[in-house]
Amino acid sequence: MMRTLAAVLAAATIAMSASAAEVLPFIEDDYAKAVAHAKTKKLPIFVEAWAPW
Amino acid sequence: MKAYVYTDKSLERFAGRFVWLSVNTENAKNAAFLAKFKIPALPTLLVLDERGESIVLRYVGGATAGQLTKLLDDVRRKSGTTPDAVLAAADKLAGEGKQKEAAAAYLAALSNAPKGWSRFGRTAESYVLALSSSGDNERCATEARRLLPAQRRTVSGATLAAVGLGCAAALDEKSSLRSDLLAALDTATRAAFDDAKLDISADDRSGLYISLIEARDAVKDAAGARKLRQEWARFLEDAAARARTPDQRTVYDSHRLSAYLGLETPEKAIAMLEQSERDFPDDYNPPARLAAAYRAMKKYDDAVAAADRALSRAYGPRKLTIFRTKAEVLAAQGDKPAARAALAEAVAYAHSLPAVQQRQSVITALEKRSRELEE
Repeated sequence: MMRTLAAVLAAATIAMSASAAEVLPFIEDDYAKAVAHAKTKKLPIFVEAWAPW
Repeated sequence: MKAYVYTDKSLERFAGRFVWLSVNTENAKNAAFLAKFKIPALPTLLVLDERGESIVLRYVGGATAGQLTKLLDDVRRKSGTTPDAVLAAADKLAGEGKQKEAAAAYLAALSNAPKGWSRFGRTAESYVLALSSSGDNERCATEARRLLPAQRRTVSGATLAAVGLGCAAALDEKSSLRSDLLAALDTATRAAFDDAKLDISADDRSGLYISLIEARDAVKDAAGARKLRQEWARFLEDAAARARTPDQRTVYDSHRLSAYLGLETPEKAIAMLEQSERDFPDDYNPPARLAAAYRAMKKYDDAVAAADRALSRAYGPRKLTIFRTKAEVLAAQGDKPAARAALAEAVAYAHSLPAVQQRQSVITALEKRSRELEE
């Protein structure tokens, strides 16, 4: 769900969990690497832009 | 989303269909990405083409596993109609930060949408958000209200109500439309919150409380705002108690602190934040939030100690907020030289950030505060 801008600024986002296994193989903070993979595999890139606060 | 959504096994079928990129907007490593793609609010979800150049889909806000499934399936759905092409163009404009142009394009897509168009809901959300981002609060609120009836009892409807309510609250008090818009959108937001069948996360339900409280504050209904804050605090405590991992529990820390500060009971935040700091010793958020709580309690030595712990771990633009908290605590203690020193450190740090992470308005505010402390 989209949040109001004020709510988003106030909202916490989530830190990476060490214990719960993620099922999607995220590349962390490396746009160039993601683009290289996408070109090789001919796949679109899903991006989540987030902040730790 | 990492704690609640990306662990959902129902999303496994998408793993090989996309390349997955996580962009921490506070991390300077992502400067090139942030210079290319405007991120107006967090989280923002994008799908880029295989060259990583064009925006295929843009969604501002978090999503449950169900909502994410719908978005990802939507990417794969054929985009042949004119509204689809106009929507893609609108998403691209919004991603470039051209909110007025994006709003016009989203409206064009909506106006030409065939009956039952599967993308109508998220287009309506994006339209209203673009109006809000461009500062057109009156149109944002009136359009949210206009589009709501067709989106009632949907996630998009909840978003329209909450965003519209925020816009209505931001209208000038002299606006003849304000009162009516606030009442209508407040009712719609509350209805969305009370709809137990609506597939939105507890975190996003909490966001609805923020919108409702803002509206009470906007009409100077202190008693109503307080009642909502009390309800909000209980809701968050209940959600945190049901969390299955420390990651899930800490999702609610920021909102809980806000609720307790609003209720003038900051001491209620201490135990939960101390636990979070023990669980995540490298995370700057728990000590940064402790600094804010201790400041509100006037326990200034504890606030400075917590701020220093946070500063030793923090990075990115958020570090400036922590410097500012420390400076204000030092000023409250009467130590103006130390407060100015903290602000000077903040300004120097701000200038060291990549250009795309610098905000001149923030630097100006820090410098202005420092001058005030000289007087």
